[in-house]
Amino acid sequence: MATGVLNNVEIKGIACAVPDHIVSNDEYNEVFGTESVEKFIKMTGVKTRHVALEQQCASDLCYVAAKKLLEKLNWEPNSIDALIFITQTPDYAVPATACVLHHRLGLSDGCIAFDVNLGCSAYVYGIWLAATMISTQDLNRVLLLVGDTSNFGINQNDSSTAMIFGDGGAATALEKTKGKDIKYFLNTKGSGFKNIIVPAGHARSRSNMETSASDYELSMNGAEIFTFTISDVPKAINAFMSQYNINNDVDMYVFHQANLFILKHLSKKLGIPMEKVPISIDRYGNTSGESIPLTLVDALGNEQSNETLKLLLCGFGVGLSWGGIYLELDKSVCLPMIYTNDYFGGDND
Amino acid sequence: MTIKKKLNQLEELLDIDKDTLDENAELNQINEWDSMAVISIIAMFDDSFGKVITPEEVKGFRTIKDIIDEME
Repeated sequence: MATGVLNNVEIKGIACAVPDHIVSNDEYNEVFGTESVEKFIKMTGVKTRHVALEQQCASDLCYVAAKKLLEKLNWEPNSIDALIFITQTPDYAVPATACVLHHRLGLSDGCIAFDVNLGCSAYVYGIWLAATMISTQDLNRVLLLVGDTSNFGINQNDSSTAMIFGDGGAATALEKTKGKDIKYFLNTKGSGFKNIIVPAGHARSRSNMETSASDYELSMNGAEIFTFTISDVPKAINAFMSQYNINNDVDMYVFHQANLFILKHLSKKLGIPMEKVPISIDRYGNTSGESIPLTLVDALGNEQSNETLKLLLCGFGVGLSWGGIYLELDKSVCLPMIYTNDYFGGDND
Repeated sequence: MTIKKKLNQLEELLDIDKDTLDENAELNQINEWDSMAVISIIAMFDDSFGKVITPEEVKGFRTIKDIIDEME
């Protein structure tokens, strides 16, 4: 397990944007039958989800969140040293969406910008990467954008994926700050790469003339993911907490919102009371990589106090990839949730 | 743990009326046996019996008795 401490770096702000459009899972009664839908809602906890418009991309949601965050922090675009965009639903196959966002946000030519492809673990990997850049390099401000429109490429007749995902985008501002640190652990088990996969649409299927429409849809092996989550994730969290003497004084455990059944099982196994585990999946669905910042914004977005919270963040899933972050965060750094229908009009924008 | 207690635990887990589950019932004949039931079974073994069973092992279960035999 890769672990470490990154010194002199702090999260200064977090903003999240979700599409205006709300889909209620009751709407699927006719597709899957009322009983099946009720059972699905009971197990996953997903009642409603925000779903992107046909034209709305993950980058559009992140853009809206980033704009608001820079305004609030009073950060000039030319003061940003790096932009990291983590998504599994980029705008184009080529180029990197981070370059498009760099243009839209008016960042300077001297700014680093690149994409990373991760899902459920995206936020913890993103915080580690951004914090590493600040802590070990001569960089002062990094903008981390994590977003997905997971409902793109979903088979509406597949009950295991049609009702679970919500769309959203998060922007997190990190800055060099003396005396603050971020602890992390990161893991990968590539042997499970087929457990959540969209097989076609990229280079591996380029020469395969036999791809069918379903190869372009997300396929998920729920039972395998569950087994992985209950065996590898608690083990890693316990080892991490013991290595850094992180005690029960953690104020909040913010987990990737995979589904409610997993969250309850994981918390029980770790001996954490559910009062310390904020939930957003009931109203937002599984929002992939942005589920951790979205859950934080949902819980703290209207807080004005400067009280500091000790947080343990943990993401796990597609890859298979999992990791965690331990940090202190002022309650007031989260902006209220943003709802938007905006999208990029290309060159005309 | 008696067989009756095990059956009752499975009935609760599968949302089936109490004392109606037959030990010899075949899983593919039970309406409630679906992908969510598989996950619930894996969770139950972890929770109540401290062992993580794989989805492959669950696929190997043909009857309720096959599950009950592992519940220890």
